[in-house]
Amino acid sequence: MASIETTPLAAEAEKAERGKLSRFLEAYPPLVIFGITWIAATLIVAIFADLLAPYIYSALDLKARLAPPVFMGGTWAHPLGTDELGRDVLSRLVISIRISLLIAFASTILSATIGVLLGFLAAHFRGLVEQVVLTLIDFQASMPFMIIALAVLAFFGNTLTLFICLMGFYGWERAARIARGLTIAANEQGYAASVRDIGASPLRVYGLHVLPNIASTLIVSVTLTFPEVILLESGLSFLGLGVQPPLTSLGNMVGYGREYLQSAPWILLAPSAVIVLTTFSISMVGDWLRDRLDPTLR
Amino acid sequence: MLRYIASRGLRALITIFLVLSFAFVILRLSGDPALLILSPDAPPEALEAFRKGWGLDAPLWRQYLGYFLNIAEGNFGQSMRDGRPAIDLVLERIPATLAITLPAFALKLLIGVPAGIFAALHRNSLIDRLVMSLSVAGYTIPSFVLGLVLVLVFAVNLGWLPSGGYTSPWHAVLPIVTLGLGGAAILARFTRSAMLEVLGQPYIRTASAKGLIWRRVVTSHALPNAAIPTVTIIGFMVGSLIAGAVVVESVFSWPGVGRLLVSAVANRDLAVVQAILLLVAACMVTSNLVVDALYGWIDPRLRSGRTVKAGG
Repeated sequence: MASIETTPLAAEAEKAERGKLSRFLEAYPPLVIFGITWIAATLIVAIFADLLAPYIYSALDLKARLAPPVFMGGTWAHPLGTDELGRDVLSRLVISIRISLLIAFASTILSATIGVLLGFLAAHFRGLVEQVVLTLIDFQASMPFMIIALAVLAFFGNTLTLFICLMGFYGWERAARIARGLTIAANEQGYAASVRDIGASPLRVYGLHVLPNIASTLIVSVTLTFPEVILLESGLSFLGLGVQPPLTSLGNMVGYGREYLQSAPWILLAPSAVIVLTTFSISMVGDWLRDRLDPTLR
Repeated sequence: MLRYIASRGLRALITIFLVLSFAFVILRLSGDPALLILSPDAPPEALEAFRKGWGLDAPLWRQYLGYFLNIAEGNFGQSMRDGRPAIDLVLERIPATLAITLPAFALKLLIGVPAGIFAALHRNSLIDRLVMSLSVAGYTIPSFVLGLVLVLVFAVNLGWLPSGGYTSPWHAVLPIVTLGLGGAAILARFTRSAMLEVLGQPYIRTASAKGLIWRRVVTSHALPNAAIPTVTIIGFMVGSLIAGAVVVESVFSWPGVGRLLVSAVANRDLAVVQAILLLVAACMVTSNLVVDALYGWIDPRLRSGRTVKAGG
């Protein structure tokens, strides 16, 4: 640093400094920072769930049934209280976060993959294949997914794998639409044509050249699907038709906590708060990503 | 215009066909209903009689064909639980569902659309930020959480309203509010972004540059153009009037179609689930058709037969 300390320069420096802070806040609004922090925290909780849970999530402690959480006059033995069977709410919450996030991640990846593949197929073959894909997209978009999911779940029974696969069909039509549209545009651009002219296989053209070019828009659409999958999963589990006991998920906890709404509201308030904060954070970060990555999508 | 409507009509028929086939495949191939309804240790003759009675012993393609013929005749089969026609069971639940979804729909429109327009016209103002924050909240809070929190506050703590049931108009208040607020938030968000998109267009600049008063610019240039994406989402809401309250009906023990569906699913009552699935499909397809016709009316460009660009 030079030792020039003239007033106007110092003032300018200060202004630049303040500009930096406000520019930082403009680029990373507090809510977005909160969102990123929350998502990171839930991810850590999900990964280290076994270590973080103070008790085994299904362990009964019948002597401590419906114990209130610390801030409602309970003890630190069960910081978030216990449920009607004396199971520790905090431990169940931690495991529920893991299960819910696992379902949401796996399903979102599945749905993006299905969508992108069908989008590529439609854009590559055009003609009949494209019409079939478009009809499927129309079909999927015109039926409330909840109803379809309910029908499938009830009649196929329910396992975690099946449930994840089913959720994986949520939102594929959005990814497919985007992938098709952008790929058709990309095929008309020079780069895809030139790689093809060199003799690259379609697999190479789409996988190595088109995909990276449309990735940012796809990621933004994934940030829309992800919170919706969480909401859908928790809704179905709330109805008792999603994740089945003894496994637990956030919606599941709210569903049976409802029976104790009057006597033990903490059973459902903690998972409710986690659902809301998680979907909120992802939406915030998603909006922010959309502004940064793809201004045309607004 | 005619061609446009015709092609949309064809799509609608295909959608209905897909839903029918989907229902058939899922419901018939998922297990032997005879074993589910009667228990596995029922006498073989009883199982056989059951299969015969329901036509389950015919080859699949015959079942498939018979299924379509039956539906064409308005015969949706009988509830496997209490033997009544499935369609009757569903139809008698519709008034209860509409009793909450229609007022909720009105609430969505009355709050969502004006809030969205106002927020867009006063972009970045305090009110805009408030509307947007509420809208994000409405979008990220699942309906069962909102419903249960409302119950906790207004029924359990304050004791002003009943928490669930179907005996007086007061019982409908919390379900309506729960449904309405969530939908209003989504609608406000859509309306706002549609308005903002339109307000940035050159024709708005032209209209105000030629000296048109701002109110006229908004009412005759901005609103009609912003109506197109908004009508789409409203159409979806109309289509889901019948089945859009599955979760909320369960929260408030409201005896509508949604709860019937949940219990039919839990009891594996094939015919009832099928009937509801078809009813929902018919509603969605009809409202989509109406929306498509509305597009033609709102957007004269479509009348000439140009296709609408699918929004991403």
